[in-house]
Amino acid sequence: MFSLNNHLELRRVTISSLVTCIYLPSIITAISYKGVLYSVGSGSSFYILVLIFVAELVKSFYLSSSNEIQAKRSKGKTRAGDIIKSLGFLLGITFCFFLGIMLFGAPVLDKHEETLMLSSLLTLLTVFPLVAHCGVEPAVQLLFGVKSFNKDTIVAMLVNNALLTLCGAWLGAVVIPLDWNTPWQQWPIPCYLGALGGYVLSNVLTVLKVTMMSGANKYKFLNFFINVINRLHISK
Amino acid sequence: MLFWIQHKWSGLWLLILALGGISLFLYGFFPLKYHSGKLAHMDDLPNFIDGVSIDGHEVYNSGENSVILMVIDGLRYDFVTEEYMPFTGQLLKNKSACIYVSVAEPPTVTMPRIKSPERKKEKAQWRRTINFWRDIFAMMTGSVSTFADVALNFGAPAVKGDSVLRVATSRGRHTILYGDDTWLRLFPGLWTDYDGTTSFFVTDYTEVDNNVTRHLDTVLAPLEDKKPKFDFLVLHYLGLDHIGHLEGAKSPKIKPKLIEMDEIVKKIYAAMQTWDRTGVLIICGDHGMRDAGGHGGASPAEVLVPLVVIKSADFQCPHEQGPGPVVAQVDIAPTIAWLLNTPIPGDSTGKFLPSLLPSDIRQHLYLLHVNAQHNVKQGVPTDTEYYRQFKRAETQFARYLTSGQQSAARIAKEFYDESLIAMSKQLTESTTDFDMFSLGLATVFLYFVVTALACVTLYSLQPDNQRKISITDKHRTNIGSIVAFAIIFAVFGTILTVACFITETKSQFCSFNPLWSIAFLSMVFALTVTYFLIKTGVEKIRDLSMLRELNAIDYLLIIGTLFHAWSFFGTSFIEEEHMTWYFFWNTLMFFVLVRTIVVLVMYFSKRWSGATEVQEKPDLDHRMSAVGVGIVPKWVLLIALHRYLRTMNQTGDRWLFLPDTADWLNAPENSIYLQGHLVFGTLLTLAICLWNIRHMNNYMKFHSIITILATLCILCYRITTNALHSPFEEIKSWDNVLIVEIFWWLLAGQTIFEAITYLGVFKACGYNPNSKFAYSKPKEKSEDYFYDIMEEPWNINDVKLNLARSLTHIMYNQMMLIIVLLMRPHNVIMVPSIYITCLITAKCLDHKLLDARPGRNTEAADILGLTLAHIWIGAVFYFYQGNSNSLASVDLGSGYVGLSEYSPVKVAARMGLHAYAGPALAGAHLFCSLPTSDMNKYLQAVWRVSNIMALQRVYQLVIYCVIAIVFRHHLFVWSVFSPKLLYDFVATVFSVQALLTIAEIVLITHIVSWIARAIIYRRLS
Repeated sequence: MFSLNNHLELRRVTISSLVTCIYLPSIITAISYKGVLYSVGSGSSFYILVLIFVAELVKSFYLSSSNEIQAKRSKGKTRAGDIIKSLGFLLGITFCFFLGIMLFGAPVLDKHEETLMLSSLLTLLTVFPLVAHCGVEPAVQLLFGVKSFNKDTIVAMLVNNALLTLCGAWLGAVVIPLDWNTPWQQWPIPCYLGALGGYVLSNVLTVLKVTMMSGANKYKFLNFFINVINRLHISK
Repeated sequence: MLFWIQHKWSGLWLLILALGGISLFLYGFFPLKYHSGKLAHMDDLPNFIDGVSIDGHEVYNSGENSVILMVIDGLRYDFVTEEYMPFTGQLLKNKSACIYVSVAEPPTVTMPRIKSPERKKEKAQWRRTINFWRDIFAMMTGSVSTFADVALNFGAPAVKGDSVLRVATSRGRHTILYGDDTWLRLFPGLWTDYDGTTSFFVTDYTEVDNNVTRHLDTVLAPLEDKKPKFDFLVLHYLGLDHIGHLEGAKSPKIKPKLIEMDEIVKKIYAAMQTWDRTGVLIICGDHGMRDAGGHGGASPAEVLVPLVVIKSADFQCPHEQGPGPVVAQVDIAPTIAWLLNTPIPGDSTGKFLPSLLPSDIRQHLYLLHVNAQHNVKQGVPTDTEYYRQFKRAETQFARYLTSGQQSAARIAKEFYDESLIAMSKQLTESTTDFDMFSLGLATVFLYFVVTALACVTLYSLQPDNQRKISITDKHRTNIGSIVAFAIIFAVFGTILTVACFITETKSQFCSFNPLWSIAFLSMVFALTVTYFLIKTGVEKIRDLSMLRELNAIDYLLIIGTLFHAWSFFGTSFIEEEHMTWYFFWNTLMFFVLVRTIVVLVMYFSKRWSGATEVQEKPDLDHRMSAVGVGIVPKWVLLIALHRYLRTMNQTGDRWLFLPDTADWLNAPENSIYLQGHLVFGTLLTLAICLWNIRHMNNYMKFHSIITILATLCILCYRITTNALHSPFEEIKSWDNVLIVEIFWWLLAGQTIFEAITYLGVFKACGYNPNSKFAYSKPKEKSEDYFYDIMEEPWNINDVKLNLARSLTHIMYNQMMLIIVLLMRPHNVIMVPSIYITCLITAKCLDHKLLDARPGRNTEAADILGLTLAHIWIGAVFYFYQGNSNSLASVDLGSGYVGLSEYSPVKVAARMGLHAYAGPALAGAHLFCSLPTSDMNKYLQAVWRVSNIMALQRVYQLVIYCVIAIVFRHHLFVWSVFSPKLLYDFVATVFSVQALLTIAEIVLITHIVSWIARAIIYRRLS
C-alpha cells in the first residue's frame, strides 16, 4: 500500500508518525509521573485533549503543506466556513461515538462525563486527522468507503491509525471485569489508555515499516516483516 | 466404515458417546459411593470380643449426660486465651477444661457482600447454606462431605444419611437449636425445640447473637427435679464472623464480642453445676479468619480452630498445658453420640475425643473397639497393616477380659489407637481422592470423540459432488472391514488392559467385575468406532473449498468460539463467563453494524452514481431484498434492545448484588411496569406464534385457536399467581395446577392434530383441507410418462418436507409458550427478543449480500456462520436471564410451576428448560429457518447443523475436562470449578435431548409419510 515512489509523501508520513511516537508517550509519562494517570476519565484531564488537538493540528498542517497549489486554490474563499463546518461535523461525530459507546455497554445513567471524554478522545484520534487533512466531504466519503484511498499514502496511514485506535479502545474493555481490584479497572481508563496505545502502536508500525522498506533493498529478509506488518493493517 | 461418516445422525451418536465420557469423568471427579446412608442402631454394638462375650449395651452406656455444642463462627485458635476469654482461659489453666486444635475444612463459599433486595435473598440463602454445609455436615455426621452431597441434594439441603441428630431423636433425646437456621434446613424435623435466626446483614453483629442468647436463661434453668430441660443443645453464634468480615481480626470490636462469648460460657458452666447429671460443653469454631477479615483460604489462621471441652464435674484434662493435640472436625460426632448414649452415626469416620474417654479401662477399650469396628464396617481393606493391628488389639482386649492383665490392656489400647488413626486417615482420603485413572481415560476418550466430530463436521461441510464419488466404495467387501474392526477392537482392549495394570490404579474401572466390564467393553468399542471415523474422515475429506467463502464475521465467530473454551483457565472467567459472552456478542454486533452500513452505502452509491444500467438494477435490488434498506436502523435498535436486556439481571459473582432492572421492576411501587413487561412479552410471543402458523396446515384455523387458548391459560396462570392484576376477580380463585394441566393438553392436542391432518385422514373423511399441504398427483406430462412410472405417483416428498417444517414450527411455538409460562415475570420479554435477534442476525449474516463476491456456492459457509451465531445468541440470553456458573443462580421456583407435589422428573425438566431457555429457543429457531427448497437439501442442512452443534458442545467439554484436572486441588474447586462441570454436564444432556428432538421430528415425518402411503392413499387411488 505504501509506495516508495513518492519520496516526499513518505518522508512526511514517517516524520509525522515519529513525532506522534514521541509526543503521545511523553504526555502519558508526564501525567503518570504527576500521579494523575488514573484521572484521565474525568473532566479535569481536558488539557490532555487540548494538547492532542494542537499536536494533531500541527501535524496535519505539516502533512498537507505539500498540496500548496490545492491549498492556494481553496484559500481565502471558504476558510472560515470550512472551519465551522468541520467543527460541527466533529461535534456530531463525538455525539455518535457517545451514543455508540453507550449502546455497546457504557453506563447509561451515570458517568456521562467519562464517556464524553472517551468519545472526544476517539474523535480526536480517528476522525479529526482525516478531516484536517482533506476536509469534511472527502472525509465522509472515505469513512463510508465510497472513495478509495489506495493511492494516497497519507490517507492510508490516517485510516490505519483510526482503525487501530478503535481496536485498542475495544480491547481495553477486556480488563474491566477482571477481579484484580486495581484502581485502573475503572470505566473508562482502560479504554482511554487502550485507544492511546492503539494509536501509538499504529504509528510505531508505520515508522518500522518505512524503515524496513528502505532497508529491504539491501537486506531481502526484511520483506518478510513488511508482509507481516501489511497483514496487521486491517484496512483493505 | 464409510457408512458411519455419511450417516445423518453420527453427530448425535458421537454426542451421546461424549455424554458417556463425561459421566465417567464426573464419576472420577466426585466420589459418589461413600455416604451409604446406613442408619446406626444400638444392636450394632458388638457383644463378643474375639469370642469373649461382653454386654455391649451395658459397657457402652455413658451415664446420663447433657451436651451443649456451642459453635462460634470465625473463632480463631489464638482467640481462646486468658486475654480475650478470661473465664475459659482460667478453666484451661487449672485443667478443668481441655483444648484441642481442630482442622476445619476450608469453607466453600465466602460470605457474600449483600446489599440485598428481597428478590436476591434466595440466592444468598443458598450460598449461606453451602457456606456452613461442610462444617455442620462434618460435625453432625462424622464424615467429610463431598461435592456430590451438596449438588445432589439440590433444592432440599437436608442431610439424608445418618447423623447425631437422627440417632438422638430415634432414642428419644431432647434436642434444641438456637442459632443459624441452616441447621434447621440441614436436619428438618429432628429438633424438639428450636429458634432459627437468619442473618443476611453482615453489618448486624449484635442482634444475631442476642437472638440466640435470649433463650439461654430459660433453657439452662433445670426443672424441679434438677434435671436439665434438654439432652443436646446447639448454640450457633455468628456475630464474631460478621465483625471479622467487616473489620478484620484486629478490630477493636473483637474483644468485647469474645468477652460476651466468655460470659455465656461462664453462665453455662454455672448452670451445669446445678444439674443432677453431668453436663458437657463443647466450644468450637467452624473456621478461623484472616487478619484482614474474611475467610475462604487455607492459611493456618483460617483453618486452625480451637475445640474446647468443658465438663461439669470430676474432670481433669489429661493433656499437657499448651496447644493441645490435633483432632478432626469429624471427631465431634461420635463423641456426642456416645455421650448421649446413642450409637455412632452410620457414616462416621471420627474418633472419640481422648479427654472424654472414661477412666474405666474395660469401657475405654470397648469404646475403642466399637470405634474401630465401625470403621472396618465401612469398607477398610482387610489386607492392610492397620487392619492386622486392629485384629491384634482385639485379641489383646479379649485376653484382658478373660484374665484381667493390665499389660494386655495397655497393649490393646496402644494397638487400637494406632489402627484407629490409620483407618480414619484412609477413610477420609478415600472420600476426597480423585479417581485419576477414570479422569485421564475420560479425557482421552473425549479427545477421540471431538476429533471424530471434527472429521464428521468437515466431511459434512464439503460440497455435494465430492461426497458422491465415494459411493462406489460402498460395494467393497464387508468381511474386510469386520476383520479390521475386530483387530482394532482387540488392540484398544489390550492397550486399556495394559494401562490398567501398569498404572496399578485402584479405580473401579479396572476392577473387571461384571458391571464394570460392560463399561470397559463399551469404552473399547466406542474408542474403536471413533478411531474408524477419524481414519475415514482423514481419508475422505478432500475438498474444503468452502473455507474460502468465510468472511470476517465467520472468522470472528469461529475464533471466538474456540477461544471461549480456553478462557476458563482463569477462575474469574468462569465466575464472570457472561462478560466473555457479552464482549464477544458486542464485537459481533459491531462487525455486523459496520457490514450493514457498508452494504447500504454500496447499494446507494451503485444505484445513484455508478452502475445505472438496466440489467444491474434488478440484480442490486434482488441482492438487497434479503435485508432491505431498513436494516441499519433495525440493527441499531437491536443493539439498544440488547443493551437494555443486559441490565435486566446482574449475574456472575462480583456484581451479583448490584441493583439491576429486575430489582427495579420487582419493587412494589413499579408493579405496573412489571405487568406491562409481562403482558407485552406474552402478547408479542402470541403474535410471533400466530405468524409462525403460516408454516402449518392451519386446518379450519385450529392452530390459531389453540395458540390463543394456550396464551389465555398463561395469562390466567399469571393472574392466579398474583403476578398480574385483572378486572375479573374470580379468576384469582382458580386452581393454577388445573390451568397448567389444560395448557399441556392443548399443546399435546395441537401436535397430534397436525400429524393426523398430514395423514390425510380428513381428506378421506370427505373434507378438503388447505390444498397447499395435501397429497396430490402431479400433472402428468405425456412425454415424461416413461420415467414417471418409476417414481412416486404422489408428491410424497413435498408433503414430507412441509410436515417437517410444520412440526419444527410447532415445536418452536410450543417451546416459546412453555418458556413464557415458566419464566419470571420480568424475564418474559426475553422470549420474543430471542426471536427478533435470531431473525435479524440470520439476515445480516447472509453470504450473498452486496459486499460478497457473487456467484459462489455459499451454503456451507452460511450454515456454519448461522449455527455459531445461534449458539452465541443462546449463550448471551442464557446470561441475560440471570443464570451463571454458580449453583446459587438455579431458579428452583420454575421447577414447581403447575405442580402440586414434588416429582423429580417433572421438576428437573422444568428447571432445565427454564435455565436453558436461551440456547433452546435459539437452537429451535435455527432449525426452523433452515433452507426448505427440497427434502434432501433440508436433511443435509439438518445434518450439518447437528454436527456443528455437537462439535461445539464436545469441544467445550473436553477443554473444560483438562482444566478441571489441572485445577483439581485448587482452592475454588468446589465453589467454582465443580459447579461449572455440573453445568457443562447438564448442558450436554440437554444438547443430546435437543438433537434427539430434531431426530424425532424427522422420524415422525418418515413414519407419517409411510403410513399415508401404506394405508390411505393406496385406498384412495
